[in-house]
Amino acid sequence: MSTLTIAWIALPLFVGFSIYLFPRLDRYLALGVALASAGYASYLFVAQSTLTLPLLDSFGVTLIADEMSAFFIVTNALVTSAVIIYCWHTNKTAFFFTQMIILHGCVNAAFVCADFISLYVALEVISIAAFLLIAYPRTNRSIWVGLRYLLISNVAMLFYLMGAGLVYQANYSFAYEGLSNAPIEAIALIFLGLLSKGGIFVSGLWLPLTHSESETPVSALLSGVVVKAGVFPLMRFALMVPEVDPIVRIFGVGTAVLGVGYAVFEKDTKRMLAFHTISQLGFVLAAPEVGGFYGLTHGLVKSALFLIAGTLPSRNLKELHHKPINTSIWIALVIASFSISGFPLLSGFGAKVLTMKNLLPWQVIGMNIAALGTAISFAKFIFLPHNPQGEGNVKPSFWLAMIILIGGLILANAVYYEAYTVKNIVKPLVTIALGWLAYFLIFKRLAIKLPRMLEQFDHLIGLMSLMLLLLFGMVFA
Amino acid sequence: MLEACIFATILCGFFGIILKKNLVMKIISMDVMSTGVIAYYVLIASRKGEALFTPIIPVENGIISHVENGAYSDPVPQAVILTAIVIGFSIQALMLVGVMKLARDHPTLESSEIEKHNTP
Repeated sequence: MSTLTIAWIALPLFVGFSIYLFPRLDRYLALGVALASAGYASYLFVAQSTLTLPLLDSFGVTLIADEMSAFFIVTNALVTSAVIIYCWHTNKTAFFFTQMIILHGCVNAAFVCADFISLYVALEVISIAAFLLIAYPRTNRSIWVGLRYLLISNVAMLFYLMGAGLVYQANYSFAYEGLSNAPIEAIALIFLGLLSKGGIFVSGLWLPLTHSESETPVSALLSGVVVKAGVFPLMRFALMVPEVDPIVRIFGVGTAVLGVGYAVFEKDTKRMLAFHTISQLGFVLAAPEVGGFYGLTHGLVKSALFLIAGTLPSRNLKELHHKPINTSIWIALVIASFSISGFPLLSGFGAKVLTMKNLLPWQVIGMNIAALGTAISFAKFIFLPHNPQGEGNVKPSFWLAMIILIGGLILANAVYYEAYTVKNIVKPLVTIALGWLAYFLIFKRLAIKLPRMLEQFDHLIGLMSLMLLLLFGMVFA
Repeated sequence: MLEACIFATILCGFFGIILKKNLVMKIISMDVMSTGVIAYYVLIASRKGEALFTPIIPVENGIISHVENGAYSDPVPQAVILTAIVIGFSIQALMLVGVMKLARDHPTLESSEIEKHNTP
C-alpha cells in the first residue's frame, strides 16, 4: 500500500517528462496517468482505511490518504481525462500535455499530503504549471492573465511560508496537527495563503478574470480541480483542529453568498461560471466533514459547464438570446445546470442535501440564500432558445468528454442514495421554482453592471493585507 | 532586533509590490519579500540568533570532541528553505520571460497600462 502510494505520486512527474521524449504518444500517456489516478482512488474507496505514511521521522512530513482525499482524487482523475479527450483532436503540442500531467500530479500530491512543506511545494508547482497552461496561446492577454495569477499566488504563498515557519518554531514539526498549539499569527498567515490560493471570499477575486480568459480546456481544469488544492487543506485543518473549524465555516458561508451575489448580475457566460466556482467552494467549506462529496460533484459539473460554454456561439448571454443554440448542446447544458441547482436524479442534489444536513444552525440562512442564487443564475442557461439546426461547432471528442463528466454525475448518486426522501426532494424543487420566478420577475430585466474595481491587480494585493488583519481579528476572538 | 529587521524587509517588499508602477520593479519587490522570508527561516533555524554554527560534529585528531548541547543551528528549516529558494527563483525566471514578451507591445511596462489593454 505504501509503495503503491509513493509510486502513484511519482508516476505523473515521471510520465510528464517522458511525454517530452515520446511526443507522438503524448495523449495516450496523459490519459494513462489520469486512469491510474482513478484506479488508485477506487482502491482507496474499497479499502475504506486511512493510510498514514510518515516519510521523515519526527519532522511531520507525512502523507494521509483517506476517503476524503479519495473523493478529490477521483474528481481530479475524471476531470483530467475528460479534458484530455476534449483536446484529443486539437493541435495542442506535447508541451501542453506535459504541463497538464504535471499539474495533475501536483494536485494529487496536495490532496494526500499532511504537512505544510509538502503542501507548499505542491501548491507552488501547481502555480507554475497553471501559469504555463494559461499562457499557452502566447497572446499578450494570456501572458498578462498568467503573470497576474503567478504574482498573486506567489505573494500569498510567501505569507503562507512565514506561517509554516512559525508552526515549526512552536512544534519542531511541520505536521498539520501542530496548528492547534501554534501562535495566532501562524494561523492567520497560513489561512491567508490558502484562502488566496483557493479563491475564497474577497481574496478569491483574482479568479473570475483568470478562469474566464483562459482557453476552454484550461478553464475547465482550473475551475474543476486546481482551486480545490487550496481548499482541501482548509477542510483538513477544520477536521483536525477544532479551534479553526468555526473560521472555516464562516468563510464558507461568506464565500457562497459573495460568489452568487456577483453571479446573478453577470451577463458573460464564462465569468458567471467563474463566480459560481467561488460560491460553490463556499459550499464545500461550509460543512467540512462532507465537503469531499460536494467537491466531486462540483468538479464534474463545473468542468462540463466550461466545456459547453466553450462551444456556444457567443459568450454574451444577451446575444445568445437571439442566436438559438443546437438542441443537443442545450440538453447537456440543462443537465449540468440542473445538477448544480440541486435537482433530484443528479448527484448535485445528494451533495446539497448532505451539506445542508451538516450545517450549524447559524449557517442555514446564508446557505439557503446561496442555493436560491444558484437557481436564479442557472435559469439564465436553462431558458436559452434552442432548435435542432442551431449553431454550435461540436467535435465528437466533446461528446465523449460530456459522457464521462455527466455519466459521473449520475453514477455519483450512489454515494448518498439515502437523500431520496419526499421531504428532501420537495425542498430543492421549491428553491428552484422560487429561483426561476425571481429570474423572470426581476433578474431577467435587470441590467446592473457591478464595478470590477476590486479585480484590479493592485487592489487584489492590497486586499491581502486587509484580509490578514481580518484573520488576526478572527483568530484572536 | 534581527527579527524586526527581517519583518521590515518583508514589509518593504510587500509595499513595493503594491506601490511600484513598473512590472519589473514589482517582480524585484517580490524577490525582496521572499529574501525576507528566507532570512526569517534562517533566524528560526538559529533559535533566535543564538546558535549560528552548522550541525557538523567537530573531529580533532580522530576523536569526536564534545559539542555543547544546542549550540548548533537546526538543519530542518535550512533544508526546507532551500526548496523555497529554488522555487522562488524559477518562478521569477518565468515571470521575467513573460515580461520580456509583454515589453514588445508595452515598452514602458507600466502595470496599469498593461492591465487596461488586456482586460475585457
